[in-house]
Amino acid sequence: SVQAHKEEDDPQKTMEVNGLTPVPDSYDYDLIVIGGGSGGLAAAKEAAKYEKKVMVLDFVTPTPQGSSWGLGGTCVNVGCIPKKLMHQAALLGQALQDSRKFGWQFTEDVKHNWMTMTESVQNYIGSLNWGYRVALRDTKVTYENAYGEFVGPHTIKATNKKGIEKLYRAERFIIATGERPRYLGIPGDKEYCISSDDLFSLPYCPGKTLVVGASYVALECAGFLAGLGLDVTVMVRSILLRGFDQDMANKIGEYMEEHGVNFIREFVPIKIEQVEEGTPGILKVTAKSTTRDQIIEGQYNTVLLAIGRDPCTRKIGLDKIGVNINEKTGKIPVNDEEQTSVPYIYAIGDILQDKLELTPVAIQAGRLLVRRLYAGATTKCDYVNVPTTVFTPLEYGACGYSEETAVEKFGEENIEVYHSHFWPLEWTVPSRDNNRCYAKIICNIQDNERVIGFHVLGPNAGEVTQGFAAAIKCGLTKEQLDSTIGIHPVCAEV
Amino acid sequence: MGWVEMQVRGYPEFVRTAQSYHGRPIFALFCGDKDAEGRSWCPDCVTAEPIVRKELHNLPDESVFIYCLVGDRAYWKDPNNEFRRNLKLTGVPTLLKYGTPQKLVEEECFKAELVRMLFTED
Repeated sequence: SVQAHKEEDDPQKTMEVNGLTPVPDSYDYDLIVIGGGSGGLAAAKEAAKYEKKVMVLDFVTPTPQGSSWGLGGTCVNVGCIPKKLMHQAALLGQALQDSRKFGWQFTEDVKHNWMTMTESVQNYIGSLNWGYRVALRDTKVTYENAYGEFVGPHTIKATNKKGIEKLYRAERFIIATGERPRYLGIPGDKEYCISSDDLFSLPYCPGKTLVVGASYVALECAGFLAGLGLDVTVMVRSILLRGFDQDMANKIGEYMEEHGVNFIREFVPIKIEQVEEGTPGILKVTAKSTTRDQIIEGQYNTVLLAIGRDPCTRKIGLDKIGVNINEKTGKIPVNDEEQTSVPYIYAIGDILQDKLELTPVAIQAGRLLVRRLYAGATTKCDYVNVPTTVFTPLEYGACGYSEETAVEKFGEENIEVYHSHFWPLEWTVPSRDNNRCYAKIICNIQDNERVIGFHVLGPNAGEVTQGFAAAIKCGLTKEQLDSTIGIHPVCAEV
Repeated sequence: MGWVEMQVRGYPEFVRTAQSYHGRPIFALFCGDKDAEGRSWCPDCVTAEPIVRKELHNLPDESVFIYCLVGDRAYWKDPNNEFRRNLKLTGVPTLLKYGTPQKLVEEECFKAELVRMLFTED
């Protein structure tokens, strides 16, 4: 008798699609990336360079208020990009005021139009979303706007917004699902409050706003809203900018307070009620003190929650395939090669335990991971001395240790802190603050006075900090810094 | 109902036509003028047009496809021409979905896959 030879039985026969490297029969893709944000897209595009068959799954669950957005993740849609643009809008408002002292004459009082700004910002974001889709299609990365969940070994279920489910199998996975804003868990929070997920596309001016939280998200948003002329109050449970150098954090808070932002310290909201419907409406907030028996009430048009972000790791089936997560925080612990407890599953970005939640970190981790997987590279992501900037009205750039952490790690007697206030030349003529800008470096005395912490509070802090971060990476010492001649007249020369 | 094609020349005619179809999905291909023999001064437009036309059958129902000749080479080179100023066009050919940030510019128009994506996906 003759036995029919089925194609699948032939071990040499592999699937070839679109001229890409053949994948083993049992897998649809070499790599599936769950999450199309900063980390996910960087990893996917890098893998495509090595001719791997890649799929990106990206899906945005709408906020309680109904906001949603396109491909690109938090940074592009509801994070860094719109934030910086709105911060810039606020700075321009300040510049207009300063300009009169420099001779510019305009008769009308200057007002701000929220809708004009928001439309421009959203338009730009739309072009980024489209750009990513073109880039993925062009590099032959398959993109599906679908929610990915693991259902078994090497297998993921993708559900699109119409509820249609598809199963895919891949040799390897990268989880890059990022985080979403946390809610308070009090009456009225989801019905009436907004978060950063809603703010940047809000179709009406937020008006008198209460920002709950003291994270950089809270302070940056409070900062630009106040800069645009709105009445802003920040409700803080305990300290400002937990995790950042507290000396700098307090200076930021003082500056904001002097410049029109109200602070309610050591209170937490316990109830949010609607007084009047509208866009915006009027909300009544009831709050209680964290230190004594006191209840206060206040009315605001908008309540913006910025109390923290939670990883999107609880509903993606990680328990089904044995990827360990920190049950309390939802974060995923990985080794120094971004590998989870399951060898063929990796994770990058904000969801990682004990790693910085920054776009460039996620991008770098994603790219290096993919090069190690597919291009034989060995370089691991360096999470040390990563520079960062907080775009509060007075910007704060930092790289390396905070003063507290340096004291804790090296001992107070072994570190030396050099500091200085400075007055930007551009602020002199319009008579702006002459004692608010500040810079300090923290040096390790035992290691040649190596610069282990850099902190600057002043305009363009991000631009200033970037170069110093490179110098610190090269092992900058105080002596080298001293022997570097300054550029004049700029803030950075201090 | 299928889709319709409108052929226009110059900015004012483009705007009038786009406005008259307000409410329907509008796709537009901008190319350099053609001479008496029907050849454009823009070589990339010559390459792109047949590729774009081949994908037109993918247009969603009710769409309008506006084929717009922008002007002669001298007009196009002027950095202040109305297409550059008002529609923010940076090059020809440009294929775009009117009223959205979705567009394909120059060599991107040569890629049938990208043209199809522009026509069929949200």
